[in-house]
Amino acid sequence: MQALIEARGLSKDFGSLWAARDVSFQVEAGEIVGMLGPNGAGKTTTLRMLSGLLTPTEGEAFVGGHSMQHAQQEARKGLGFLTGDMDLYRRLKPAELLNYFGRLYEVPETTLKSRVAQLMNAFHINEFGDRFCEKLSTGQKQRVSIARTLVHDPKVVILDEPTTGLDIMASEFILQFIRSMAKEEGKAVIFSTHHLDEVERLCDKVLVIHAGHLVYAGTPTELNAQTGKATLADSFFQLVNA
Amino acid sequence: MRSHIIGTIFRKEILEVLRDKRMLFLVILMPFFLYPVMFTLIGFVGKSQGEKLDTEKVTVLLNPQAESTPIYELLKTNPTLEVKLESFEQTSLDTMKNTVGVVVADGFQSSLDSNQSATVTIFYDTSKDLLEGRVRNIKASVEQLGQNLLLARLNEKQLPQGFVKPIDLREQNIAPQERVVGKIMGRFLPMLLLLFIFTGCIYIAIDITAGEKERRTLQPLFTAPIKVREIIAGKFLATYTVGLISATMNVLSLLVAMYIQVQLLSGGKAGEAFSLPISGEGWAWMALIIVLATAFMAAISIAVVLLANSYKEAQSYVSPLMMIIIIPAVMSQMPGMELTSTTAMIPMLNISLAIGAIFQGIFNVGHILTVVLFALLYAGLALYLASLTFGNENVVTGEKVKFKALFSKK
Repeated sequence: MQALIEARGLSKDFGSLWAARDVSFQVEAGEIVGMLGPNGAGKTTTLRMLSGLLTPTEGEAFVGGHSMQHAQQEARKGLGFLTGDMDLYRRLKPAELLNYFGRLYEVPETTLKSRVAQLMNAFHINEFGDRFCEKLSTGQKQRVSIARTLVHDPKVVILDEPTTGLDIMASEFILQFIRSMAKEEGKAVIFSTHHLDEVERLCDKVLVIHAGHLVYAGTPTELNAQTGKATLADSFFQLVNA
Repeated sequence: MRSHIIGTIFRKEILEVLRDKRMLFLVILMPFFLYPVMFTLIGFVGKSQGEKLDTEKVTVLLNPQAESTPIYELLKTNPTLEVKLESFEQTSLDTMKNTVGVVVADGFQSSLDSNQSATVTIFYDTSKDLLEGRVRNIKASVEQLGQNLLLARLNEKQLPQGFVKPIDLREQNIAPQERVVGKIMGRFLPMLLLLFIFTGCIYIAIDITAGEKERRTLQPLFTAPIKVREIIAGKFLATYTVGLISATMNVLSLLVAMYIQVQLLSGGKAGEAFSLPISGEGWAWMALIIVLATAFMAAISIAVVLLANSYKEAQSYVSPLMMIIIIPAVMSQMPGMELTSTTAMIPMLNISLAIGAIFQGIFNVGHILTVVLFALLYAGLALYLASLTFGNENVVTGEKVKFKALFSKK
């Protein structure tokens, strides 16, 4: 099966620091991959290189088989990307925002109409659809943000800490949606998180990044077997403290 | 570049502006109220001050020896003067309210009778507008008296008036009223116009660039399959449109407010005062120059404020940018400064001079064309600078943009 996401030797030099060094991995359709690492490990830098926000100093990123460096427009068409650094236009209503991004992704108007309605329904956005985005709660904003990420029905979804700041109900809602995206719609999903329980519950694979290096790529079960620990948390601490 | 993508970005920016009450008020609605209110207030204050200066009584202390001279009779006929025959010390006048001292020298009449000059001295505080106005009246009356006495002396000697005025120098203003008005308008309107355009551009430019960086809404655009040039074009068009609308609103409101004031002060003759020597061709050039000036200012505003990381930081760039606009506009008003093939190439100065020349109805089409070409060039350069800034990785990640890094692709 062809990988929908491929990181091939990604490195990023910020002058005084290599934030990522020779990071390589693949994610296939229907897979959910959790990215773990302490703060400053290089998770966000790696995800930004995958999305084309940052240009790698070395290496190349591929989304849907298209190079993010050499065929950026094509690669981006198949990518839905959300980080905690992204917010909503405060003076737009959720449907206006979804339509705006749908048009930027050149979704045909007829498809866009039904897609926006579908997402508004799936994320229960209709309940607060008449409010401007600046008036929404953190959980409501996150639902709109994820809907925005999916408006063009991308094959690849990258979410950087999607449950940060959310209460347990909102987090669960997002996690269930991630599961259905991968398992029912066949999307390839990477999400970074600090919640190891989310990875244990959802992920087929786990990537552990530490000091810019990818120190583990495989299933959570294999990781526990490799470290000889009983829980993912213990395995993670052993890896990053080694 | 895809026009439908640019149009989508443009429409979204305009929608957000229309929903931003602060921006709407500052850029569009305020001019409607500001100038009429400001001019009405200035008119009322000016009128009441003028009436006060015309009617308020001023005391004239005249030395008692002057009672028998024509000066005393002359001053008494002025209803705005209260003449008192009273000796005074020059220094004591300072402490007296609205008082002028007049001293007619001893031997006034005998000097006149012997065809000599008689001296009249006026003491007053020149820093007071009221006293200055009254003294002007007194001087005019005394000079008229002196003229009458001179004529009497010439008649007595049977000499013509030309005897004491060998050369009768006269001057005639040949400029039509329109050109005089055009010169006045051409002096202050270009500067105001450029300021209005700048004000209209800068606040939306801050909102949709540095403001978006601060609100963390730029990154989603940079992960969409759109080109940096398309983002710039959409944002530039929005800034440009608001700048143009703002300038139009400001100028119309200003002209209407001025027209009403002149109409009130001139007893309904504002039409004459406001006639300008601008032909249809002149208006067309003016429109083109304003359109290009707006394009330049929209582009430079976006390019500069995008370097800022927050709304507040971007606002600190407003004053230096405004200086860049105002200084050339002020320079254009310096004596001898004209639109030439050289000045037509200097940014902002060329725009200011061209608008001034068109207002006066005297312009060289070749020079105006040069202004148009260079305005286009500068607008293009400013947009190029904006694209360098937008394409910089630090803007993408919402971090501080270093100026020296603009010219690297990093």
